[in-house]
Amino acid sequence: MATEYVKLVDVTKCDGCRACMVACKNWNDLPAEPQDFLGTMQSHANVSADTWNVLTFVEHENSKGGLDYLFRHSSCYHCVDAACEKVCPESAISYTDFGSVVIDHDKCVGCGYCEQNCPFDVISLKEYKDKNGKEYRKANKCTMCTDRLEEGLQPACVTTCHPGAMQFGEKEEMLQKAEKRVSEIKERYPNATIYNPAGVGGTHTIYVLAEKPSVYGMPENPKVPTSAVLWKDYAQPIGKAMVGGVTMALVGAFVANKFFDKKGKEHEEDGGDRHE
Amino acid sequence: MSKQQSSEVQVKRFSKAFVWAHGINAIAFIGLYITALPMYTDWFNWLYVVFGGPENARLIHRILAVAFILPTFIWLIFDHKGFFMWLKELVTWKKRDFQFFSEFVKELFGFKFKHVRQTFFNAGEKINSILQIFCAILLIGSGFPMWFPDLFPSALVQWSYFLHNVGFGLGFAVVLGHIYLSVIHKHSRPGFTGVITGKVPAKWAKSHYTEWYEEEVKKGNFPDLDDPKKNKKKGA
Amino acid sequence: MTNHWSDIQHSDCALIMGANPAENHPISFRWLTKAQEKGGKIVSVDPRFTRTSAKADVYAQLRSGTDIAFMGGMIKYALDNELYHKDYVVNYTNASFILKDTYEFNDGIFSGYDEPTRKYDKTQWAFETDEEGNPVKDMTLKHPRSVFQMMKNHYSRYDADTVCSVTGTPKEDFLKVCEAFCATGAPDKAGTILYAMGTTQHTVGTQNVRAFGMIQLLLGNMGLPGGGLNAMRGESNVQGSTDFGLLYNNLTGYLGAPTMLHPTLEAYNEKETPSAGYWSNKPKFLVSLLKAWYGPNATKDNEFGYQYLPKGNKNYSHINLFSAMYKGELEGAFLFGTNPVVGGPNAGKEKEALGNLKWLVAADLWETESASFWQKEAGSNPSAISTEVFLLPAASSYEKEGSVSNSSRWMQYRWQAIKPKGQSLADLEIIHEMYLHLKDLYKNEKTPAAKPFNALDWNFGKGNHPDIDLVCKEINGYDLTTGKLVPGFGALKDDGTTTSGNWIYSGFYPEEGNNRAKSRDNKDTGGGNYLNWSFAWPANRRILYNRAAADLNGKPWSKKTAIIWWDASQKKWVGNDVPDFVVDRAPTDPGGTNPYTMLKDGVAGLFAGNLNDGPFPEHYEPFESPVANAFSSQDSNPAIQLFDGEFNLKGDYKQFPIVATTYRVSEHWQSGSMTRNQEWLSELVGHMFVEISEELAKEKGIKNKDKVIVSSARGEIEAYAMVTKRFKPYTIQGQKVHHIGMPWHFGYKGFATGDTANRLTPHIGDANTTIPEYKAFLCNVRRAN
Ligand SMILES: Nc1nc2c(c(=O)[nH]1)N[C@H]1C(S)=C(S)[C@@H](COP(=O)(O)OP(=O)(O)OC[C@H]3O[C@@H](n4cnc5c(=O)[nH]c(N)nc54)[C@H](O)[C@@H]3O)O[C@H]1N2
Ligand SMILES: Nc1nc2c(c(=O)[nH]1)N[C@H]1C(S)=C(S)[C@@H](COP(=O)(O)OP(=O)(O)OC[C@H]3O[C@@H](n4cnc5c(=O)[nH]c(N)nc54)[C@H](O)[C@@H]3O)O[C@H]1N2
Ligand code: HEM
Ligand code: HEM
Ligand code: SF4
Ligand code: SF4
Ligand code: SF4
Ligand code: SF4
Ligand code: SF4
Ligand SMILES: [Mo]
Repeated sequence: MATEYVKLVDVTKCDGCRACMVACKNWNDLPAEPQDFLGTMQSHANVSADTWNVLTFVEHENSKGGLDYLFRHSSCYHCVDAACEKVCPESAISYTDFGSVVIDHDKCVGCGYCEQNCPFDVISLKEYKDKNGKEYRKANKCTMCTDRLEEGLQPACVTTCHPGAMQFGEKEEMLQKAEKRVSEIKERYPNATIYNPAGVGGTHTIYVLAEKPSVYGMPENPKVPTSAVLWKDYAQPIGKAMVGGVTMALVGAFVANKFFDKKGKEHEEDGGDRHE
Repeated sequence: MSKQQSSEVQVKRFSKAFVWAHGINAIAFIGLYITALPMYTDWFNWLYVVFGGPENARLIHRILAVAFILPTFIWLIFDHKGFFMWLKELVTWKKRDFQFFSEFVKELFGFKFKHVRQTFFNAGEKINSILQIFCAILLIGSGFPMWFPDLFPSALVQWSYFLHNVGFGLGFAVVLGHIYLSVIHKHSRPGFTGVITGKVPAKWAKSHYTEWYEEEVKKGNFPDLDDPKKNKKKGA
Repeated sequence: MTNHWSDIQHSDCALIMGANPAENHPISFRWLTKAQEKGGKIVSVDPRFTRTSAKADVYAQLRSGTDIAFMGGMIKYALDNELYHKDYVVNYTNASFILKDTYEFNDGIFSGYDEPTRKYDKTQWAFETDEEGNPVKDMTLKHPRSVFQMMKNHYSRYDADTVCSVTGTPKEDFLKVCEAFCATGAPDKAGTILYAMGTTQHTVGTQNVRAFGMIQLLLGNMGLPGGGLNAMRGESNVQGSTDFGLLYNNLTGYLGAPTMLHPTLEAYNEKETPSAGYWSNKPKFLVSLLKAWYGPNATKDNEFGYQYLPKGNKNYSHINLFSAMYKGELEGAFLFGTNPVVGGPNAGKEKEALGNLKWLVAADLWETESASFWQKEAGSNPSAISTEVFLLPAASSYEKEGSVSNSSRWMQYRWQAIKPKGQSLADLEIIHEMYLHLKDLYKNEKTPAAKPFNALDWNFGKGNHPDIDLVCKEINGYDLTTGKLVPGFGALKDDGTTTSGNWIYSGFYPEEGNNRAKSRDNKDTGGGNYLNWSFAWPANRRILYNRAAADLNGKPWSKKTAIIWWDASQKKWVGNDVPDFVVDRAPTDPGGTNPYTMLKDGVAGLFAGNLNDGPFPEHYEPFESPVANAFSSQDSNPAIQLFDGEFNLKGDYKQFPIVATTYRVSEHWQSGSMTRNQEWLSELVGHMFVEISEELAKEKGIKNKDKVIVSSARGEIEAYAMVTKRFKPYTIQGQKVHHIGMPWHFGYKGFATGDTANRLTPHIGDANTTIPEYKAFLCNVRRAN
């Protein structure tokens, strides 16, 4: 198995400069999406098909009665057990050797199952128009800059992050750093924690958070939706078996009829009206 | 000779509304299935080519989904008596209905069996209907949230995928059996003309739906096959 | 900066006051974060909770314009609690100097004040001297007229309660800040102060900086790694621009611009050259500069061309120029990369002033709000404006080569990345061509205007493109006797045998083929100073006054704060930086314990008699303030120049009871031309907004995202309300005072548009620099419609 990599986002070192947002658009050639005024410094309410990472701003009155102004680089988590990958009916989403979860636009049909099932709400559809003006849709999200990783580079957002709030490296090393950092900041942020939720098998975008995940608007215990597990791991295989089973039963019935009911032919018209 | 004669006698079983409803329903259902197959599993991805790509398959699926919902209303509007009779039948379960099943298994596999007296719909058909209704509710109820995810809470949308999938599996099994019985299985096959023309051979009807047939005879609608004189006059 | 960006990592405590580096100097946070990781603390003092405050360990709010009260309180705290670095204060500052009894301070006024001219006679603020002219000292610091005792006395009025009633800071927060920062008074600790426009854009801006300087001297933080007084400069090359004499009162290299008071070179030298300290070399720098400019036309006989220099007698600062323009006293103007219709104080009036010009030339990357001030969209009536406007397309920084100097005083060379778009030219090319044309026009003229043109020695190669390498060499300077480049400013002479276009940079190009601005060796040469990365003026020195980081014997105050030290065996100063001292001057030599070599007395001035508004910083209220001054009966700085008339309407606190300030956001650059024309930045902050506390919003019935009208005596603007917990009402002298703030980046051009905050700001400036008071004024807010 190839080495797994992790983008470690230490929000306690982030100063909210949003260079990561611009770097992402720059590298991935994404258009601007002017928004209405949201009433805070936050530019976009959430990530979107054209804005793959969004810096969230939260004003939080902490347990000590002080004010915290919390920043978080939010983007795809690159789940180890990715709901989006699980539900995609076209196998358009796959895992790479780096641990990133990527979308193959050639296969994507824009059905939106991934969008509906991502426990973090970070994948979304974009409308395109082909040469004939026909509209079609494709899913989009952070790719972990897999195209850069393939060239031996780091993700664009990580490279641009000047205080080192984001780091990219081997999973084990990043996890150790995260643990060390949490112990360093516990005094200042008693609720500091690592966010690497088990409900999705862990992620490849791991956070050091200053506060409880819910303060950042993150799910406390995200998991691959139970419905998706039942659907893909149970209903579908059983369904397939059932389709096969019923087909077999009927073929069986057809053959059995031919075999046991040789006289049947004469009774055909009256529907086998054969009382004893 | 009597055989010849009796087999010519046809009685009216279904209204035009039912025939249409059932036909549209059947076509839509099968279309839905075929369009759904490549979405369901990669084995059938070749079907996309047939529909002109995955987007088209999904478009057709949605058009057929509407077609699939229409028949209920056609039947209800143009033959509400028949429709309600059907519903009433579905909730009426008596001892004979349960007896039916053991005999049906024998019938299915071509063993000797005896007819249990049945009303308009036999117990098997009632089960079929119930399962079909159940599947239809499942598929339609889940299909809409899938179609318009923005209008529904996301948990509902997520569960819809699961339910739709269950509906698919269940529906497949039920319908496949239903079609087998009506198209291939020789004992029930004569009923096939019923959903095409609305009429079925009187003799077959009498043996399969004895209670209903006799009632219709009492009402004077159907010929009493045991009384050849009446036969000529009252042929429907 | 006395220190430099990467040096911040060594800091035990960074006091960030009057700046918001997380947003405006983001790279600083690369180093601040490292400092924090090593256990250093960050303290943020700002009227509102910023992205910097978010990262700080201690935050304290203060009302805009009250920094001197705050720092005065901190000085008192350090003195009362004896947290200052005694050896440093005694030996390296003028604390021990005895003041003449002409110096006095009374109810907000220093001695020597002349009310009609609003000017001080600074000669009254002098030290007692002995027969040789040396200051009289009392090394015990006990003398009642010693600087130390006078200072103590001056700030005795700045007790925590009074201070907090003026600044509105919760007292416990004020004390937390004092405690955290004054801890760096320990000899093995270093604290830095990072400041920028929150400090300077006030009628007391210069004194704000002085107050910072005083606390840094008291705590012994100057000259130490991780210490210093660090101005984070603004525009990418604003450091370079002031180094090169962009300010109206400077020639290149911080040589004061000659005025009518300096009719001859001799008079200039006599008046401007101190008797001791490094500035005693000033004539060498000036003559070398004149030789660089006028070449063979600068001879001993013609005062090296000194008479070619204009000698004005006015204040030519931005606000004075615009008020002259408003009065119709100016004929034309060049706007080289500036957009005053958005960025100037009282911008609505500055826009009108432009309409009084005959001609206007704007050299810019875009057609800015200023270049199109006459348009209907700008709110003007084009048919009523007769100004002829020329727009010269300028090439951006990526399209040309040259150097910029950053806050660390590093001159960093940049290479051209892409060719200029369209017909745009580099500013240097524009000026080059303009000069060649003008010279041609003046060729046969003998008028006073023609003389300096014809005398200029403009030899940067033939053709339209000046040879930048020749420009670089001219800056460094030549030895005319050998024709070789000079090795540094130590080689400059006042006899006309050397040239140097800017003495402080002399030595960056010491020999052919060695332009040190192009050095890019990123190996740490020790102490994180990276001596082979670029060139830092002066003499590639990274930390100014670094001699002060060692004690009287030349030993570092502590191992941790070591930077240079005296090596007795080698008989020279060694360490991790270029010594800011005569390299072989032993601590036992005369002057061997005087680290402040630039200054006349060799020590730093806790008392400084050269500023226009007093030798000790004293709190005055901003020009527009909601309260009377609690410290004296002088409400605003007595030494500021007051303008009258329509251009300078003053708001009354009854009508405009809310304190307002203006600032920047990371996502926009200045007047916005550079960022509002960029979609990816425009989407990040797409709307003009005003930050309002929850309490004020409630009082005014304003909901988050509502549109509101902000008004001042100068005008009204519309903006979105950003209701936030990051602004809180203040309690000032027992009275509730609301405070709001807004970015000043918006105008009507580009992708992200909005009303211009500067339509509200007053046309008033600092007593020394005339920088406008953008940071504190009065206004009111109401819901739109
Ligand atoms: N992103 C970005 N960076 C920039 C610029 C830009 O436009 N955009 N401009 C550059 C330029 S030219 C400059 S000069 C610098 C300016 O850099 P800064 O000085 O950091 O910029 P400002 O945001 O104007 O002001 C800083 C802070 O001062 C606070 N403040 C206001 N009044 C007071 C006061 O009375 N006392 C104290 N202590 N604080 C006060 C404000 O709330 C604000 O947070 O930034 C440079 N960097
Ligand atoms: N209310 C309020 N007002 C303020 C301030 C504040 O804090 N509050 N801050 C003040 C400060 S500190 C400053 S520095 C001023 C800045 O005020 P300005 O200097 O007027 O503002 P900028 O937007 O920096 O203007 C620079 C212009 O230069 C152009 N430009 C960029 N590169 C080049 C180039 O290479 N060549 C040429 N020719 N043009 C170029 C840009 O397009 C832009 O239009 O604003 C001041 N105004
Ligand atoms: C080729 C396809 C089909 C054929 C040949 C067929 C045939 C028949 C026949 C013969 C009957 C009448 C039985 C009787 O006389 O009572 C019938 C009834 C019915 N069919 Fe179908 N059918 C087909 C497809 C479908 C499909 C796809 C559905 C539903 C999704 C469906 C739902 C029903 C129902 C609900 C009834 C009434 C109950 C019953 O008789 O079982 N049919 N069909
Ligand atoms: C016989 C009935 C139907 C069957 C067997 C069927 C089956 C399927 C299947 C297998 C899928 C793929 C989902 C998966 O992989 O689990 C699907 C998708 C879908 N179905 Fe149905 N369906 C039926 C009826 C309907 C109806 C009645 C509706 C709408 C009211 C509907 C709406 C949809 C929609 C919106 C999708 C998503 C298609 C896409 O965009 O990818 N279906 N269906
Ligand atoms: S966060 Fe969402 S989109 Fe990203 S890998 Fe996980 S499930 Fe997929
Ligand atoms: S939208 Fe594309 S990627 Fe997402 S589930 Fe559908 S096919 Fe897969
Ligand atoms: S990893 Fe790449 S794609 Fe993902 S947010 Fe960062 S820059 Fe964008
Ligand atoms: S680049 Fe780094 S510091 Fe800046 S907003 Fe993104 S994560 Fe935060
Ligand atoms: S403005 Fe330039 S120097 Fe400043 S942080 Fe951004 S990229 Fe770096
Ligand atoms: Mo600036």
